[in-house]
This record gives sequence, structure tokens and C-alpha cells, in this order.
Amino acid sequence: MAAPCVSCCRGLSYRLFLGLRVNFAQRQGYWQTLPVDAQTAPESQILRLIHTTVVTTKKNVSASGRDSYTEDFIKKQIEEFNIGKRHLANMMGEDPETFTQEDIDRAIAYLFPSGLFEKRARPIMKHPEQIFPKQRAIQRGEDGRPFHFLFYTGRQSYYSLMHDTYGKLLQLEKHNDPFPQKTESMNPIGSRWLIKEELEEMLVEKLSDQDYMQFIWLLEKLLTLQYGPAEEEFIQRFRRSVTIQSQKQLIEPLQYDEQGMAFSTSEGRRKSARAEAVVYERGSGKIRVNGIDYLQYFPITQDREQLMFPFHYLDRLGKHDVICTVSGGGRSAQAGAIRLAMAKALCSFITEDEVEWMRQAGLLTSDPRVRERKKPGQEGARRKFTWKKR
Amino acid sequence: MAARALRAARRCSELAGAVNRAVWRLPGLTQVRWSRYGPEFRDPLIDKEHCRKPAAELTEEEKYDQDLRKTQLIKAAPAAQTCSVFADPVISKFTNMMMKGGNKVLARSLMAQTLEAVKRKQFEKYHAASAEEQATIERNPYTIFHQALKNCEPVIGLVPILKGGHFYQVPVPLSDRRRRFLAMKWMIKECRENKPRQTLMPEKLSHELLEAFANKGPVIKRKHDMHKMAEANRALAHYRWW
Repeated sequence: MAAPCVSCCRGLSYRLFLGLRVNFAQRQGYWQTLPVDAQTAPESQILRLIHTTVVTTKKNVSASGRDSYTEDFIKKQIEEFNIGKRHLANMMGEDPETFTQEDIDRAIAYLFPSGLFEKRARPIMKHPEQIFPKQRAIQRGEDGRPFHFLFYTGRQSYYSLMHDTYGKLLQLEKHNDPFPQKTESMNPIGSRWLIKEELEEMLVEKLSDQDYMQFIWLLEKLLTLQYGPAEEEFIQRFRRSVTIQSQKQLIEPLQYDEQGMAFSTSEGRRKSARAEAVVYERGSGKIRVNGIDYLQYFPITQDREQLMFPFHYLDRLGKHDVICTVSGGGRSAQAGAIRLAMAKALCSFITEDEVEWMRQAGLLTSDPRVRERKKPGQEGARRKFTWKKR
Repeated sequence: MAARALRAARRCSELAGAVNRAVWRLPGLTQVRWSRYGPEFRDPLIDKEHCRKPAAELTEEEKYDQDLRKTQLIKAAPAAQTCSVFADPVISKFTNMMMKGGNKVLARSLMAQTLEAVKRKQFEKYHAASAEEQATIERNPYTIFHQALKNCEPVIGLVPILKGGHFYQVPVPLSDRRRRFLAMKWMIKECRENKPRQTLMPEKLSHELLEAFANKGPVIKRKHDMHKMAEANRALAHYRWW
């Protein structure tokens, strides 16, 4: 049986066992095998093949332009992938039936550890549909006559899609009253139109920005009319759902200490400062930082204002006690880190709406800004050396 | 009907935004100013009253805005901004402009001393004045500050435009934010440069603010000079093409 096909973007190595009747792929020097013994009886074409490591200049399929792969080739790749997956599961001692893509990635990372920085240069084993670009089926018949009536426009999928959509629009306009009283348009926030790249992927064709906008404009026009379930299904093909961001917020579970008081712990960071805050459910508004009262630890008003911010926003100023530890960074970074930690810890005590309001006030986002590095040939990150005419 | 048109317009602008973003990813067009936040991040809304509004009071537009914000990523709130009643965006901007070398502590303390000095001067005047004058004396330093800066804002500005090898000063309408910026910049420049070295900044600044509040003083004069030059050059107004 063929060995598991681990395709690395740089080289391939195939070891083929003897006594196999093998199909050769005709493309790209993919296989380089030398049939040593080919003169046996006609019904058993056994070829004794020697071990060959094919280190070709195998193109990075995703980087190169569209090359045409035959359907048989792709089918074979898929078969080999599935067989190889089972072999890999066997090797790792797992059940081949329930071996998912994440398991494959983990197994490959374990078997072929790579220290390369470029993630795309590391060994991967993915389903051929993700590796080989999507291609269009053959568009001409054997007599050279194209199948689709819009073939000679050059962009048959796009134009046929526009044609269908416009046809639907005309049909609906004919059946509808000329002045529709539709108050609620089916455009809730939970979904969005697909972006140009997604549409290109769907049609397997290159589009320009104007084409894309024309198409979306047609779809929007369709939305304003009254349509039935068939058109609804047609439209839904071009909608993608949008995540409600607040649902991604991780809310810490409450913990209870010896006295039965509920508290919540959370971490925060800002620049190079790391803070951990423990917010108690009931208290008098005291904050202790690294064992010191916050009034002494932060003599600057601005920092204390930042500590107050999350509580003041939720009108819970004197209601919680906080004990935090912080290290690294400067005074403002430490204040920002503690603010984030406190806001995250507070999420356990408040309603979901209030969590969303805090998120919209910017209290639950970790500030990604760090000091920009100095570049060679410049005096600082942005400042250039003084320009001298000569 | 209008709301629907608005929504359609907004969706078109979102589309256009998406197209613009796609345009910026083209090779050959590199953006020099980049940010650690991706382009999809929105600015935070730090307003306590905004979230306390009950759902019944919101217009359709506001409801749509609220729902849209739920799906957008939001940047972190800046370190100098809070929802406190004492936080004033104009004062913050002025403090930042006064700051030198990143010394925010010093700038903020100077600002606080300035406002205190303004208040003290006004209270002295108040106690020394008669009953009917007392009603006209403004003692709140924040209103004085805002009014003074508003009085210093120029209405029209001059822009050097290159035509035929010469730079002409062409009168041009200024945007709101440019006007506010110019008012603050002139105020600070005036206090830094044209005063005797021994006087401290709060003293100078409070003096200038009170003069500007009364529509007198060098900053107001500078604004009038700008207006006069614009009036003098109004023949060149047709050089502007935007």
C-alpha cells in the first residue's frame, strides 16, 4: 500500500513497495520512478521499482498560478489522503474512524517537529481540496462546443448569476404591487453579505470591485420586494452569519472563600505590565496593590481614575473590595493592566447587558499597543535623521 | 421610508468601506500610518448615559446602531479617558498640547493650577464688585475656558497654494476641528513666547484666558489679523479648487 502521503512544500519522498501495479501521474515530474524489470508476462506487469527520493522543485501549489489538475488526479489524491490518514491513526495508536483534522495536525507536529518560523513552510497534511485550488470543470464538449451559453463572455458564472438574479427580480416585480408597504426588511444584524473574496471563491472566477458591488446592489433590491421561500433560499446562499462579539467574552466562574464571600480572579496586561486582580463581592471600595493601599501605590490622580473607571461605569464604586498584584511596565501601564483585570473580574458579578456595555466602552479589550522598535537608518521609530542637502 | 433609505445608504457605505479596504491591500499602495489594531476595530463609546437609556426611547436609527455595535470589535479605552463628570475632552486635548516630552503629570498639574488661578481671580473680582456687577461676573473656570477658546477660533483661514511658481495665501473655510486646534495652538504659543521669562505658565495662561473671555488680548488680535488678511486676499479665493 502506498505510504502515508505527507506533502511537504519543499520535497517529496515516496517509497514504493515491490509487486504493485502502479499508475503514473503524468504531471510535473511528480513521480520519478525507474521501472527496472518490465519484461515479464503480459497479464502481470510487475515493475520492480527502486527507492527514489524525489526532491523536485515542487511548486507551492497555493503560491503558483492555477495549474490544471485532472479530476482523476484529484480523486487519487483524496484516496491517498484517506488511506494515509488511517495509517497515521494506526501509528499514533488512535481509532482510525474518529481521527479528525485536529488530530492529524497534532500527529504531524509530533512526528515532524519543525522549528521554521514561517508556518506555511512546515509539514502539513490536509485534505486535497484545501491544498489544490478549486478548478472549473471542463467547459467544452468533445466537438469543441462550449456547454454554457455564456461561455464566450469570458465570465460565465458571474454573468449567469446576474442573469438569474435579475430574472427573479423581474418576476417578483411583475407579481408585486408597484408601491410596496414593506416596513421590516430582512436584514438583521446577525448576517452579512459575502465579501468579494468569498464570491470569487464561490464562482471560481475573478471579479472586479464594480462587478461585486453591482451584484450586491441587485440582491439588496431583491430584499425590498416580497418574496417566497424559493427566493429566500437563493438569497441565503449569499449571506454569512456575523458573530455577536459579546458572546466571545470569557466570564470567570465565581469562587468562594472560607467566610463564604464570593470572589472572582482575573488577569490583565498592558505593554509589559502583568496584573492579577481578585474582586470580592461585598466590600467598601478598598483597593490593595501588592500589599500597599492604592492611594500610596498610585500617587498620580490619572492612575487612580483609571482604577475607578470600571466601577464608576457600572455605578458600583464603593461596593467591591479588590486585592491585586502587578509587576512590570511603568506606572501608567500598571494602572491600565489592573483596570483590565478588574473589569474582567467584575464580569462575573454583572448581567450580560452590562458586560456588553463595558465592552463597548473599551474596558474589556486588551490594549495591543506596544513600543515600536527603532529602525536602522532612522533615529527612532518614526523620526528620521536630519536631512542635509550635502 | 427615510430610515430604510438611510439603512441602504449605510449598507452602501459599508460596502464601499469593504472595497476601500480591499483597495488598500493592493501591492504598490502601502499605508505608512498603521496601527496595532486591525481596520475592523471601532472607537469605544465612553458615555454612561448612553447605555442607561431604556429601549423605548431609542429611535430606529439608534437601535440599528446599537445592534451593529454588538457585532463590531471595539478598541481599548485610552488611558487618559474616564466616564467621570470631571473629565472634559477639550481640557484633555489642551493638556496634551501643552505637554512637553511626555510629561503628562506636569501638564496636568499646570492645567489644574491655571483653572484654580482663573477661579481665584474671578472670585477676587466678585468680592470687590457691587451687587449689580456681581451678576455678570462668571466664576466657573470651565465655562470661562470654553468660551475663551471659542472666542479665539478663526472663521476663515489662509492656505498657501502654489500657482505659477509662486505661493499665494488663499482664504479657505476651516473645519471645526482645525479651528479648535488653531485656537488652542495660538493660546499656548502666546503664553510660551510673548511673556517675561520669570512668570509661570498658570499665571500667564489664566491671564490670557480671562482676556480672551472678554474678547480682548493678543490671541483675539491674532484671530482678527487672520480675518483681515483673508479679507485682503479675497481676490485669490478662486484659486481654491475644493
